[in-house]
Amino acid sequence: MSDKLKQIINKQGEQQADTGLDQSDDIVQLVGFVIGEEEYAVPILAIQEIIKPFSWTRVPQVPPYILGVFNLRGSVIPLIDLRVKFGLPAKNHNDETRFFVLKQGDEVAGFVIDRLTMAIRIKKENIGPAPDTISGDDTMIDGVGKQEDRIITILKVDKLLERDF
Amino acid sequence: MDEFQEILQDFLVESFELVEKLDEDLVELETNPEDLELLNGIFRVAHTVKGASSFLNFDVLTHLTHHMEDVLNKARHGDLLITPDIMDVVLESIDLMKALLTIIRDTSADAGIDVSACVVKLDKISGGDGEVNTPQATAPVEEIVESAPVIEEVAEDEPDYDNMSPDDLEAEIEKLLQERQEEDKAKRAAKVAAGEEVLAAPEVQEEPAAEPEPTPEPVAPPVAVTPTPPPVAPKAEAPSGDAKAAAPAKRTPAAVEQTIRVDVKRLDHLMNLIGELVLAKNRLIKINDDVEERYEGEEFLEELNQVVSIVSLVTTDLQIAVMKTRMLPIGKVFNKFPRMIRDLTRELNKKIELEISGEDTELDKSIVEEIGDPLVHIIRNSCDHGIETPDIRIAAGKPETGIIALKAYNEGNQIVIQIDDDGKGLDTTMLKNKALEKGLISEKEADSMSDKEAFALIMKPGFSTAAAVTNVSGRGVGMDVVKTNIEKVNGIIDIESEMGQGSSMKLKIPLTLAIIQALLVGVQEEHYAIPLASVLETVRISKDEIYTVEGRSVMRLREDVLSLVHIGDIFEVERILDASEHAYVVVLGLGTQKLGLIVDTLVGQEEIVIKSLGDYLKGIEGIAGATIRGDGGVTLIVDVVALMDMAKNVKATAMVDSSSGAAQITHEKTKASDYTVMIVDDSKTDRMIMRKALEPMGITLIEAADGQEALNILKSGEHSFDGMLVDIEMPRMDGYTLATEIKKYNKYKALPLIAVTSRTGKSDRMRGVESGMVEYITKPYSADYLASVVQRNVKFKSEFL
Repeated sequence: MSDKLKQIINKQGEQQADTGLDQSDDIVQLVGFVIGEEEYAVPILAIQEIIKPFSWTRVPQVPPYILGVFNLRGSVIPLIDLRVKFGLPAKNHNDETRFFVLKQGDEVAGFVIDRLTMAIRIKKENIGPAPDTISGDDTMIDGVGKQEDRIITILKVDKLLERDF
Repeated sequence: MDEFQEILQDFLVESFELVEKLDEDLVELETNPEDLELLNGIFRVAHTVKGASSFLNFDVLTHLTHHMEDVLNKARHGDLLITPDIMDVVLESIDLMKALLTIIRDTSADAGIDVSACVVKLDKISGGDGEVNTPQATAPVEEIVESAPVIEEVAEDEPDYDNMSPDDLEAEIEKLLQERQEEDKAKRAAKVAAGEEVLAAPEVQEEPAAEPEPTPEPVAPPVAVTPTPPPVAPKAEAPSGDAKAAAPAKRTPAAVEQTIRVDVKRLDHLMNLIGELVLAKNRLIKINDDVEERYEGEEFLEELNQVVSIVSLVTTDLQIAVMKTRMLPIGKVFNKFPRMIRDLTRELNKKIELEISGEDTELDKSIVEEIGDPLVHIIRNSCDHGIETPDIRIAAGKPETGIIALKAYNEGNQIVIQIDDDGKGLDTTMLKNKALEKGLISEKEADSMSDKEAFALIMKPGFSTAAAVTNVSGRGVGMDVVKTNIEKVNGIIDIESEMGQGSSMKLKIPLTLAIIQALLVGVQEEHYAIPLASVLETVRISKDEIYTVEGRSVMRLREDVLSLVHIGDIFEVERILDASEHAYVVVLGLGTQKLGLIVDTLVGQEEIVIKSLGDYLKGIEGIAGATIRGDGGVTLIVDVVALMDMAKNVKATAMVDSSSGAAQITHEKTKASDYTVMIVDDSKTDRMIMRKALEPMGITLIEAADGQEALNILKSGEHSFDGMLVDIEMPRMDGYTLATEIKKYNKYKALPLIAVTSRTGKSDRMRGVESGMVEYITKPYSADYLASVVQRNVKFKSEFL
C-alpha cells in the first residue's frame, strides 16, 4: 500500500517537474495559422479573440488588403486580409476562414486567415532569427520557429498593427 | 502632501473662476468708476487670492496681490479715482496674477515671473497719488485699522468671536453672509428699479451709492477672522461664495446656485455609455420592426411595442440630460472680450463699444473650448478692419463710437454665434483684387464669383487685406484658423456684409459632437451617413436633368445651377447594380458652398453615435468616422467638408451609362461540365428529381435551398452560372423576389432564369415574366422536357450530347 502511494507521489512529482519545465521562461506560446501554403504564428497573448467571419463594411481610399471595418461588440475595428497583404490573390471565405483579432496597447485590428492550425509551445532556443535577406526593422517577421519537421514563421504583432500606407 | 495638493487644486479652481469674472468687472468699472459694489467685488477677489496664496506660501503672488489690494482699497474708500492710466496698471497686475496662477497650476510653484516693475507702479499709485501722502507701508496698516473698528462695531451687538467654538463661529459667519446676501438682493432690486437714471444723473446716484456704504462691514468679519487657524475652509469660501453668488444674481436676483464639481472624465465616460445605449436602442427598434412583420396580429406585440417606445423615449431623455451636464454657458468665453476690446481701442485709437447678449446660451464643454480662439480672431478683425477711426466715421455720418455686437442664440439643433459690426463692411472688388494679387484665385474665378464667395475669401490661408502687419492683425493666418477650428466642431461660417454699413458673421455650431442626426443614403449595396446639419434638401431627379458643363455634372435647382458629384465616384464604389432612371440628389450646404451629391437611394433619418475608425484607419479623406447601425453593421459617416474639396477633382462619370462595363467574359466551353446550372428549391426531393433529369448531360449542378442562399452563392462569384432553375414557393426569399434581386445586377442581365413550379395560374406566369423569368415549367414535368429546356437556354452545344 505504502509502495503504491509512494509510486503515485513520485509520479505526481515527476509530472509537476515536467510542467514546471514547460512553464519556464524558455517556452514561447504561439498560435499557428495558415495563409496560402505557409504556416505562421503570433504570440498567444497578443490575440484578443478568434472569431468566425461575418459581414464587414468596405472603406474607400485604402490599399486593397484592407477589407474595411467590422463591429466587434460595439467597437469599430479594421479588417485586414493577410493573403492580399502577403501578395497572394484574394480568396473567398470558407468554413475554415477565421478573423484573428490582435491587440497591442490601444491598437486593435482583425486579420483574415485561411485556417487555424494549433496552439504551439516552442522553446526559445528553437527560434532562429529571420533570414538575413529579409531581416531589419521593416520586416514583419520576428523569427523562424523550428519544430520537428515544420518551420513556422513568427510574425511581429506591432508590425502587423502598424499602419503602412 | 496629498492634502496640500487638494487644497492647491481647490485654490486654483477658485482663483481662475474669480479672475475670469474680474476682467469684465474691471472694464465696467472704468466706465463707471464710482460703482462701489463693483469695486468691492474686485477688491474681494484680490483679497481672497492674497489670503489663500499666503497660506499656501506663494510669496510672489502674495506680494503682488497685496499691492493690488492696496490700490483697490484706496479706490474703494474714495481716496483714489480710477483713471484709465491707473486702470492700465491694475489690468497689467491682473495679467501678471493670471500668469502666476497658470505657472502655479503647471509647476505648483510661483517662481519665474518678475512682478517688481508692476509692484512699483502699483505703489506709486497707492502711495503717490492724491493728497494723502502716506508711505506705501502704511496702506496695509490702514486696512487693519479699517477692519479693526468694524470688528468692534460688530462686536457691540454680537457675541465675542474669540470665545466661540469653531462650529459656532462658522454658523455666525454663515448668518452674516446670509444677511449680506439679503442686503445685496434688496440693493440690487432698488438699483434695477432706479434703472438707467442712476447712471445718467449723478445726484441721484448719491442715494444708491450711499446705501452700499455699510457693505464692507459684513464682509470684514470673515476677513478679520482670517488669522484664527481652525476655520480654514470658511476663510477661503466665504468671500468667494459671496462673489460667486453675486455674479449670477445680477441676472436672476433670487438664484443661489447649488452645484457640485465633477471630473470631466466621468462625464465623458457617461456620454460614451449613453452612446452605447443609443446604439442598443436603435437595434431594439429594428428588431421590433422585424418581429412586428413576422408575427403580425399577435397579442404580445403590443406589449413589446410599449416597452420599446418607453425605452426609446427614456434613452432620448437620458441622452439630453447627460448632454446638458456637459453644457457650459458661452459667457465663459464672452467674458474676456470686454477687456480685449478695451485694450484694442486704446491701441488702435478707435472708439468701440461691445454689446454682448445671450451669454447664458449653453454649449458642450468641448465646443466651448474650441471656439474661444476663433472668436478672438473675428473680434480683432472687426476692430482692426471693420470699425473705422472716429474721424472717418464722423465724415461718413456715423456716430463716433463703433459698435460690435456679440450675440449667441439657439436655432434648432444649432447654436448661432453672431458677430456684427457697424464698420465699413467688406469690399468685394478689393477682396478679389487682393486674392488675385496673392495668387489665391484665378482671373476667371474672380469674374464668376458671387458676393458670398468673395466674402469667403477672407477665410483662405495667406489672405490678408491689412496694408501692414500690425500687432493686431495682418499676418493672414487669423481667419484661416477660424475656419479650421469651426469646421473641427462641425460648424459652418456665414458672412454677410454691406459696404459702408458693416458686416455680420454667423458661426453655426452643433450642440454636441458625440451623437448627431444623420441622413442615411444608399449607393449600390453600400450605405453612408451624412450629418443632417449639412443637408439643405433632397431632390429626386431623372437622368436627363443632368447636364455636363466643362466636364462637370450640373443641374438646375430652381434659380441656381448646382454642381453635382456622384457619391460612388468619391468613394470608389463598384457599380454592380443597374443604374435606375431616377436618382436622388442630396443638396449639401456648408457656409456659402453648395454641392449636389447624387445617391441611389434615400434610406432615412437616424440618430447616430459617432465612433472613430481608430488609429489604423484615421485620416481617410471624406470619412469623418463610423457608426453602428440597428442591424449591427457598420456605416461610414461622410465628412462633408472634405467631400466638398474632393468633389472638385472628380470627373463627371456620374451618370455615364454603366452598361459598357457589363460586357461579360464568356469562357469558351470545351466540355459539358463547363456548363453550370443552379437548382433552387426548398424540397430536397424536387432538387433530386431535377438533378436526375440533368445529370446525364454531364453539366455541373449546384444546389440552393432557398432564394437567400441562391443569391449568396451567386454573389460569392465562385461559379459562373449559365442558368438557374428556380422554384417559386420558398421560405426566406421566394422565386419572384430572387429573380428581381438577380436582375438588379448588370452582369446577370443575361442569365436565364427558369421557373419550375406547381403554380399554374395565368397571373403567376405573368409575375414570373415581370420578375425576369424566361421560361415557366409546371410540375410535374418529364425529365426529357426539363433537359431540353435547359439545353436550349444555356445554349448547350450539340457536340457534347
